[in-house]
Amino acid sequence: MPAREHLLKIGVSGIRGVVGEFLTPALACAFAEAFGTYVGGGRVVVGRDTRSSGPMLQHAVQCGLLATGCDVVDVGVLPTPTIQVYVAATGARGGIALTASHNPPEYNALKLFNAQGLFFNNYERGELIDLYHQSAFRRASNEEIGRIAEDYQRAPEMHIARVLRHVDAGKIRARRFRVAVDGVNGASSLMTPRFLGDDLNCEVEAIFCDPAKPFPRVAEPRPDTLGELAALVRRTGADAGFAHDPDGDRLAVCDELGRVLDNDDVLALVVDAALERLPGDVVVHLTTSSVIDDIALKHGCRVHRTAVGEANVVETMQAVKAVIGGEGSNGGIIFPPVHLCRDSYTGMAFLLDLMCGTGKRISELHAGLPQYWRRHGTIRCGHGMLAAVMTGLEEAFPEALDSDRLDGLKLMLPDAWVHVRTSNTEPIIRLAVESKAETRTGELYDRLARFCAGEGETQGEQTRCFS
Amino acid sequence: MRAERSLRISHVGLRGVVGAGGLTASHVLDFASAFATFLQTPGPVILGRDPRASGVMIREGVVAALNACGRDVVDLGVVSTPVIQHTIRRQDAAGGLSIGASHNAAEWNALKFFGSRGTYLSTAEAGELLDIYHLKKFDFAGWDRIGSLKLEPGAIDSYLDELGEAYDLAALRRFKVLVDCCNGTSALILRRMNQRFDFGFILINEQIEGVSFAHEPSTTRRMVALQLAPLVVPVGADAGFLFDVDSDRVAIATERGQAVSEEMVLPLLADYLLPRGPGKLVIANLSSTALLDEVAGWHGGKVVRVPVGRQAAIDALSCYRPEQIAAAGEGTGAVMMPRFRFVYDGIASMLAVLSMMLERGAKLSEIVGGYPAYSILKGEVPLVSQQVPALLASLRARYSDGRATVTDGLRIDWPGRWLHVRVSQTEPLVRIICEQRGAEPRALFDALVEQVRSLA
Repeated sequence: MPAREHLLKIGVSGIRGVVGEFLTPALACAFAEAFGTYVGGGRVVVGRDTRSSGPMLQHAVQCGLLATGCDVVDVGVLPTPTIQVYVAATGARGGIALTASHNPPEYNALKLFNAQGLFFNNYERGELIDLYHQSAFRRASNEEIGRIAEDYQRAPEMHIARVLRHVDAGKIRARRFRVAVDGVNGASSLMTPRFLGDDLNCEVEAIFCDPAKPFPRVAEPRPDTLGELAALVRRTGADAGFAHDPDGDRLAVCDELGRVLDNDDVLALVVDAALERLPGDVVVHLTTSSVIDDIALKHGCRVHRTAVGEANVVETMQAVKAVIGGEGSNGGIIFPPVHLCRDSYTGMAFLLDLMCGTGKRISELHAGLPQYWRRHGTIRCGHGMLAAVMTGLEEAFPEALDSDRLDGLKLMLPDAWVHVRTSNTEPIIRLAVESKAETRTGELYDRLARFCAGEGETQGEQTRCFS
Repeated sequence: MRAERSLRISHVGLRGVVGAGGLTASHVLDFASAFATFLQTPGPVILGRDPRASGVMIREGVVAALNACGRDVVDLGVVSTPVIQHTIRRQDAAGGLSIGASHNAAEWNALKFFGSRGTYLSTAEAGELLDIYHLKKFDFAGWDRIGSLKLEPGAIDSYLDELGEAYDLAALRRFKVLVDCCNGTSALILRRMNQRFDFGFILINEQIEGVSFAHEPSTTRRMVALQLAPLVVPVGADAGFLFDVDSDRVAIATERGQAVSEEMVLPLLADYLLPRGPGKLVIANLSSTALLDEVAGWHGGKVVRVPVGRQAAIDALSCYRPEQIAAAGEGTGAVMMPRFRFVYDGIASMLAVLSMMLERGAKLSEIVGGYPAYSILKGEVPLVSQQVPALLASLRARYSDGRATVTDGLRIDWPGRWLHVRVSQTEPLVRIICEQRGAEPRALFDALVEQVRSLA
């Protein structure tokens, strides 16, 4: 039986749902009251992406924060990493971003940050959700109720200044790169052309950079959704193309030939550049490509694997003092000196810096990476089906040398790996396969999908990318 | 004042002390969602607030709820309640909300609701709104039909334009007028009148305040006597006026520094409005002074007595054609005039009093002193609800020589004096009022209080 669709989900990842009947202003307000109670008053930063429901939910969240005696700093429409940097840099008690990230426009969600501007960790989330259910919120009296201050200018400046500290901006400016940008009319629409054009002196060819318009394409930046960016790169002869998701934490990259790179390879290039300067530990999640292991090995560095999810990667990065990390398949680059969050701006700056330093084009940099063939897909099935898949899977792949049960099941085969896990946000099982040969990856994926299909309804299985 | 048990959700709207056990964000969101679901006519919703600190929190919740239900919101910011009501009409809005607790202390707040004509909801409409609130089934719009927020800072000027059509502002500005704004919205309006029309309003307590007001913001003789009346003579003003925080009520001091009873505002305005016609009816509640009947009699008018409370006056108004009414109000300084769209409006009431001084060429003390003296005594006794019917029956038997009215507790009328015993709508109290033409009705009042105490 296919599972109920998650039109509303209140849980450890916060609150997320379809706006209207499901995600109501009352829910958003109550969640903000729980948040305000948790942080105990003080300054809380509120920002959002460009979804039509954003202003409405922002008012609801601000109502809840004020009701618990917090002062609100409204930073308006900004990329999520920019909001996180601002929270950390201004000594706020925490922050809330109204964004459903790469989800379709009918969705929205509350992303919650602590005083360090980091996603709430597992324990913080647990405590918050308990407060929400207990509904025993702080209630400020008229005297204790704070104010709403607006600060639309400083956050982008703070974020960009931090990024520029880690690249040779003078050299990038001197190259006068031509770059194409697809902002998906999201939170990066204004900041990215300014960053690339004004701060890095690029000639910017921008599409979908109108924050007042709806998302013009599937919100997730993937090779199959970025056809217009690729065409723009070819038409304008750009050196690179950059694409965002609606809240600007993910980055997709297109080479000068108009080919969209696999997100794992984008991460690999940035990891290579980071380790070149300062060797150290690398943290990625289980579904990230083995190309990261190859790069780390080249620099004599260690790779740590975590469960999927930015918060998990960040937690481990903090623990091992990693120099770089990220989420390959999702297009997230995390560079702690800028901030412990997925940051597309660090990604863009590092790539342009790499092009300057090596004198190579993106296609050439990409060709220098070890080649892997990857395939990702999903199976829609009932909740709790993963256990059945996992128990059978080890028997179905007897050649496995090793297994990892940190997040679903990842089997290490002699020349490949397969990974199955449940999505945190949807009632689906995600499949991933990687090997060094196209036919091998195809054969393994078919075997995996056939096996899993016995447990559910195969759907939307798609070739994410072939290098 | 603690918030516990202060919350009241009724036909009058939502009201309470903000904080634990009182008025909270979730009440605001649900009530505003219910209002958006209740509204039938298309168009935006007009929103404004008084300066209380909690008003910003409530505003955020109201905007979120209305937008979520697909309603566009026009926010006028910190303005008086009458400005909101006028804007509703002018913009053909679907309705409006006023965030503010009027004459209550700073820690209180409230939501007041207006229909598409800018008037308070009738009891039937308010009942529908309450049902939707309790049912908690709201009409939220889909993600692509969410309403938007527009800020409109110029509403006070448009309101003043309309005041200018009803009153001869150029002539009235000759008066030197002292005003106690009680840190409320009247300061914004009067400062603007000084700028735009060269009025000579001298303002005290004019700082807009969110947390502590200079004094209790009620329009009573006691509050007029506190700061306003003693200053009238030293500044040489022709009159003094006190407004509550959202400027829908007014109280008066004469040029001689006398604090005038709040009961006088309605008779004064009736005396001014009745001869101007065409309306011959004055709507007042059962507890308001009998001077009003006497004044109405001079002009061939008549007083319609309704139960105490805003809702009864609103419902009574809708039972008559507008041109039948000269004025409607309470003994609290809240008066509505047909010339000014049947909105409780302290500023418009003040302009009417000034117009009266101008037309009669008389000082305010002469006008006020020209009325026969009435003396009113008010008291209260704690309530035991289940004994109220027996109490009223016993009083009715005891005072059977007078004419009884039983629409709100018990009122007994004799020639030249009356008494009224009723249950408060806002506190667990029995209220006792006696009035007599001429001397104080002390003996009647004391006997009545004693009897109510022994029975309640």
